[in-house]
Amino acid sequence: MTMAKATPARRRPLEGVRVIDLTRIVAGPNATRMLATMGAEVIRVEWHDDRALDLLRGVHPRAPGGAADSLNRSGLFNNINPGKFGITLNMNVPQGRDLFKRLIVQATVLCENYSPGQMERWELGYDTLREINPGLIYLQITGMGKSGTYNNYLSVGPTAQALSGLTHMSGLPDPMPPAGWGYSYLDHSTGYYGAMYVLAALLQRRRTGRGCYIDLSQTEVGVLTSGTATLEAQVTGQPTVRHGNRMQAAAWAPHGAYPCRGTDAWITIAVQTDAQWEALVEEIGAPDWARDARFKNASGRKAHEDDLDRLLTTYTASEDRYELMDRLQKRGIPAGVMQKADDRYTRDPQLQERGYFVPLPQSEIGTWPVEGFPAKFQNMLVDVGGLPGRGAPCMGEDNDSVYRDLLGLTPEEIASLREDWII
Amino acid sequence: MNTEAALSSALEGTVIIESGDERGEFAGVLLASLGAEVIKLEGRRGSNSRRLGPFASPQADAEQSLCFHRYNLGKKSVSLEVDHPAARGVLERLAQRADVIIDSGEATDVERRLTLYRAMQAANPRLIVCTITPFGLDGPYRDLKMTDLTHLAMGGVMASCGYDPRPDGVYDTPPIAPGMWQAYHIACENAVIAIITALNFRELPGEGECIDVSIHEAVSLCTEVALPTYIYNTKVVQRQTGRHAGLGSTPPWLRRTKDGRYVKAFLFWSGRDVRIISEILNEAGIAHDLASDAYRALAKSSPAEAQAHFSATIDTLVASMTAEEVFHRAQAKGLLWASVRYPEENMDDPHFQARGTFQPLPHPVLSRELAYPVSAATNGKRRLTAFHRGAPQLGEHTQEVLSQVGLSGAEISALAVAGAI
Repeated sequence: MTMAKATPARRRPLEGVRVIDLTRIVAGPNATRMLATMGAEVIRVEWHDDRALDLLRGVHPRAPGGAADSLNRSGLFNNINPGKFGITLNMNVPQGRDLFKRLIVQATVLCENYSPGQMERWELGYDTLREINPGLIYLQITGMGKSGTYNNYLSVGPTAQALSGLTHMSGLPDPMPPAGWGYSYLDHSTGYYGAMYVLAALLQRRRTGRGCYIDLSQTEVGVLTSGTATLEAQVTGQPTVRHGNRMQAAAWAPHGAYPCRGTDAWITIAVQTDAQWEALVEEIGAPDWARDARFKNASGRKAHEDDLDRLLTTYTASEDRYELMDRLQKRGIPAGVMQKADDRYTRDPQLQERGYFVPLPQSEIGTWPVEGFPAKFQNMLVDVGGLPGRGAPCMGEDNDSVYRDLLGLTPEEIASLREDWII
Repeated sequence: MNTEAALSSALEGTVIIESGDERGEFAGVLLASLGAEVIKLEGRRGSNSRRLGPFASPQADAEQSLCFHRYNLGKKSVSLEVDHPAARGVLERLAQRADVIIDSGEATDVERRLTLYRAMQAANPRLIVCTITPFGLDGPYRDLKMTDLTHLAMGGVMASCGYDPRPDGVYDTPPIAPGMWQAYHIACENAVIAIITALNFRELPGEGECIDVSIHEAVSLCTEVALPTYIYNTKVVQRQTGRHAGLGSTPPWLRRTKDGRYVKAFLFWSGRDVRIISEILNEAGIAHDLASDAYRALAKSSPAEAQAHFSATIDTLVASMTAEEVFHRAQAKGLLWASVRYPEENMDDPHFQARGTFQPLPHPVLSRELAYPVSAATNGKRRLTAFHRGAPQLGEHTQEVLSQVGLSGAEISALAVAGAI
């Protein structure tokens, strides 16, 4: 294929790596998003049934206007799938699976996150695919993992978050229920681990020529990111409890979210030292309560954290959140506004100046900002628009170029496949 | 051809020098789990995380911090003071041998050392330098003082996590930072993606790299639908108890079980859900009316009332079983439900034992093994990532590492006398 844009000065680190992308929703597509950002040629393979159609194509938010039933207007889909090519392929028919095998011959990596057993039902399990392409790196993402006693259990992000312990750990102490995560955190993280492991496998493949199979469990990613909880429970014999926003690893206090002036306006403050506390006291005008001997040192503040938080709230509640953050920061106190999406998008100067929002064209909805990779690089060409230099592909947008350039099909053959509802 | 190779040796032969503070420690752990030799330079007092709890001992002790142990698995410890003038020569020798330097902390501190690292890159052009700082090395917020908590606030995670507002729409509970060090986890995961990408880049062949990771941007990237909802529809999602933030109140997911625990039981309000839950109710011998004409009529005439009734029926079902019973029965029927477990409950679960999710590793002071969560994947047969050792004691590998880069015993002693190690 010759779809790469000319970039003479800097090279894409994953040039020459081709990824066949059979992923859906967020966890899998987030892994391939990373690979596309790093310069891999990622080809999404989709179809119009509920096994292969990415449900994300239909969800809100949607770009204004256009046809109500369009599969190409979801803002979330556009944000999760930039930099990828897109083809349609009906894997439910033998001709479709034959074409898929021809794609696999040309692939470096296959990423897939269907429900457990789907690839085997299509007779496209790893054993079959590695016979076709022994160097293939196959990333399979499932909720619980492909082996073990729960290998057929179904999962989405919230399922995995509950089982792994992450839901329980988040929130105010009993008797309040867990707050959990207000989104599918493990969809993001699992994508990161998927990308990480594929990258490690690519490095191994460059050195050994060997491919590999990666059976990634979303729930285990949650277990991996549950911090010190399992260690503490082994040592103390006590079950893990929630601490709200308080710091249990050190006598840092105050340490929490405090209301400010306005609707649902909050500032987080994390005092780590006595010097920071003294600076805070000065900044808020040294009220009598703040000079209470109980709060003079860290252990005292920690021991009386309920009172401390209540009293500090009496000050913060009438303050403007950004002004207070600015004043506290000027005194060297860690403080940050609880920024909502509108704050981050419209008034966070840091995200703007670092070029975090990358405007990318999408063929149906025009140019929209997409979140970029959270790092800058000196030598490598890393950009979220990837090889096609655009947002997410429209459904089947690259059928002609991929089937022509990759599989050598003629326009007539492509037209015939389209007519027969195979692509 | 062996296609079953694990990835715990994928980075074998790769030498990582890790400096800085707790912000970047998880990156070294992830790289060590893939087989890299990670040499931690932590100064004579030891890393900050040695002074963070929880501790295995009643008193705070640098060798007993479970925080340090979790975030420094598989590394070697060298007690080198990287900012000491006498350390420069040692760093230069280490950098000759290294593939990657990771440094983390406040931008001013990291940037000061970056000058040195860039000089080392001149001598070793294949060296990859990765800095992990609160906001990256430039921009108006560069020098703000930050912690994990303030990152989760400014990056947008907390805006989506917490509890339902009161009926009048006012939030009377704070937004929640969902667990310690999650901002650093996210940043380090992205840093590792960047680092292994750069290792691949060298094989093109390419040269080394300077990677400037912003924790703020990493956290911001990890907020799912929040930003697109504003960008496309200028609407802001609202946080809700134990379920996804949304644009309007949605039915509950968390339900209380017979044993006083919770399950996450969420629904798509479809005919399939009604059928499956009816089956479970029938098997449990619980009377219900979900199959009745009256319920079907209600679903047509007043979907909201029907949903509320359905939800109350599920509450009754869930309250009749333990959390684990609900989890397994629901999954057996194809529902995406789970018990809300304590993280440690997974250690003895046969599923995770079969997959090798936890690895027992000796704890140097406790004189016993602890099971550490180490692996999120298998190669179909065994865990994909693992560790060759637990966390190091302070300076445990100083002699070994400095000898390997050619320092004599006398030179090492001189460094000690000078206060550099």
